[in-house]
Amino acid sequence: MSYADSVRRISRGEYGFGSRFLHETGVLALLGAVLFVYLLFPFVSFFSWSEGLSTGAFLDPAVLSAVKYSLLSAPISTAISTIFGVPLAYVLARSTFPGKVIVDALIVLPLVMPPVVGGVMLLSGFGQFTPLGGFLSALGIQLTDSYLGIILAQTFVASPFVVITSRSGFAAVDQEIEQAARSLGKGPLETFRLVSLPLARGSILAGVVLTFARAMGEFGATMMTAYHPTTMPTQIWVTFISDGIAATTPLVLILLALGFLVVLALQLAGKRVTFGSK
Amino acid sequence: MSLEINGLQQEYEDFTLGPLDLSVEPGVTAVLGPSGSGKSTLLSLIAGFEAPDAGGILVDGRPLENLPPEDRSVGMVFQNYALFPHLSVRENLAFGATEEGDVKGTAAMLEIEPLLDRDPETLSGGEAQRVALARALVSSPDVLLLDEPLSSLDAPIRRRLRLELRDVLSNLSIPVVYVTHDQEEAAVVGDRLAVLHEGDLVREGAVEDVFQHPKSAFVAEFLGLENVFPAEVMKNGTEETVVDLGSSTLVAAGSPPDGPVAVAIHPDSIELRETTSERKANGNAIPCSVERVLTQHTDATIVLQCGEDRLTASVSRKRAALFSVGDRCQAAVDPADVYLTRRDR
Repeated sequence: MSYADSVRRISRGEYGFGSRFLHETGVLALLGAVLFVYLLFPFVSFFSWSEGLSTGAFLDPAVLSAVKYSLLSAPISTAISTIFGVPLAYVLARSTFPGKVIVDALIVLPLVMPPVVGGVMLLSGFGQFTPLGGFLSALGIQLTDSYLGIILAQTFVASPFVVITSRSGFAAVDQEIEQAARSLGKGPLETFRLVSLPLARGSILAGVVLTFARAMGEFGATMMTAYHPTTMPTQIWVTFISDGIAATTPLVLILLALGFLVVLALQLAGKRVTFGSK
Repeated sequence: MSLEINGLQQEYEDFTLGPLDLSVEPGVTAVLGPSGSGKSTLLSLIAGFEAPDAGGILVDGRPLENLPPEDRSVGMVFQNYALFPHLSVRENLAFGATEEGDVKGTAAMLEIEPLLDRDPETLSGGEAQRVALARALVSSPDVLLLDEPLSSLDAPIRRRLRLELRDVLSNLSIPVVYVTHDQEEAAVVGDRLAVLHEGDLVREGAVEDVFQHPKSAFVAEFLGLENVFPAEVMKNGTEETVVDLGSSTLVAAGSPPDGPVAVAIHPDSIELRETTSERKANGNAIPCSVERVLTQHTDATIVLQCGEDRLTASVSRKRAALFSVGDRCQAAVDPADVYLTRRDR
């Protein structure tokens, strides 16, 4: 029996708790279990550290300030990434133009390079001593070490997620469906709004959630461009350096809870990819 | 309302459509051709999904070639229907409608009222086809294009639906361009036929006329006249022409076309006779041997070896029962059923 057959039979409930499947694919299961245990171990050990944590630790002014700045910046960065990233994704999915390969590569680059490198590049473009940064600083607009700096860093690092997932969503929409909308009197923008966007919504939603999660967890580029005001990841680093691992527990727990919500939202987004829900 | 296509041309790396001239009056013009002959490209250019390299498209004298698809008033039924999966059938119809009444009227005309609240994914192939047609018609287009609308259906449903489709389309007073690669479907649904081959329009005319006078070996073969052979004209007359097939001679009614000639004989036009039968004074009787007998529902196909040529004859099952593999016989063909065509396309 093939692996695919086994999976099909499990989905039909033909095995009690998949015991026979596990028996038949024992080597694969064993290899998978090694990674699973490796992923689980830090969580278990961390929660043993956090025993006896008082609720007062969550009310520390530094913790509250970091939570506030993270919650005020990540949604804005996500919104900016979505507003500009979804149209870009559509253009990349539907058109060909000279230099498209370069555009594609540039979009993926922030994902594969260390975020701290992104921070260096942002400083070289928007830092206080650059022409643009200096000009805006003279107008009273601080692009670094400010709330705007956090947004810049988070958007730079996180926006590729929404572009890449939305692009694959748009590419999966049958072009004849869009052509049908055009033949029924709808212009390109109306076709995008009424047909392409709703049909790609599952992928877009997944991209938005991933972008938000990445923005919330952004540390490397943010530390370079906006060490102050501190977001949660930066505050975790500051606390760890000054007070050790135990002191980081409240913020780590908050980020873990948010991470759990993101995973949940992703699973819901995955279900919405089917057209059943209107 | 009329559709005029003048010198339409579209060039790709490995294929060129046209230059193509076609006039489509109200009624159904079936565009027929093998895969890759340019049928779908032609529809794409009329609908405005692609811009032509040259030529014009006019609807009642109104040039379309520079208009975007949404301003052309050209309805289209796609091969896979392209229904909006996130909208109900009613919403699909309302998408292009200007008034709610249009939806109800069109749904009534195509008898799809019971489907209006269904999701497209729950429709059968035949239902989806009718909904797609209704959606294209609800916006009252000036021209209707159908791109192989029955090709994704099973054969029995396809045979039933092409008659229904014929009834609906014949009641429209607009030019309808119906693309198919199935010559039977084209004959049932179309009033006129346009045959495309490698991007060129090789034959155009009333359905009966094109089937009776394919005018080229390619068209004859594509229309199902399985017996197409190159021939040499031996005796050229205005009423009768004698041609040599190499291993036999045939008499054909009428005069031959200019240039190299081919002969086309429909399998239904061949009458099988015992070898002892007398040859009619003006008839053709080709000596053959039975190579294969393929029996179907009500009729049978008999493959004959006639000298170096192989002929296919369609006969009744009862008639086929008289012949076995290896039997000698005569393939009799009336000269009026021997079509002389150009050997090229």
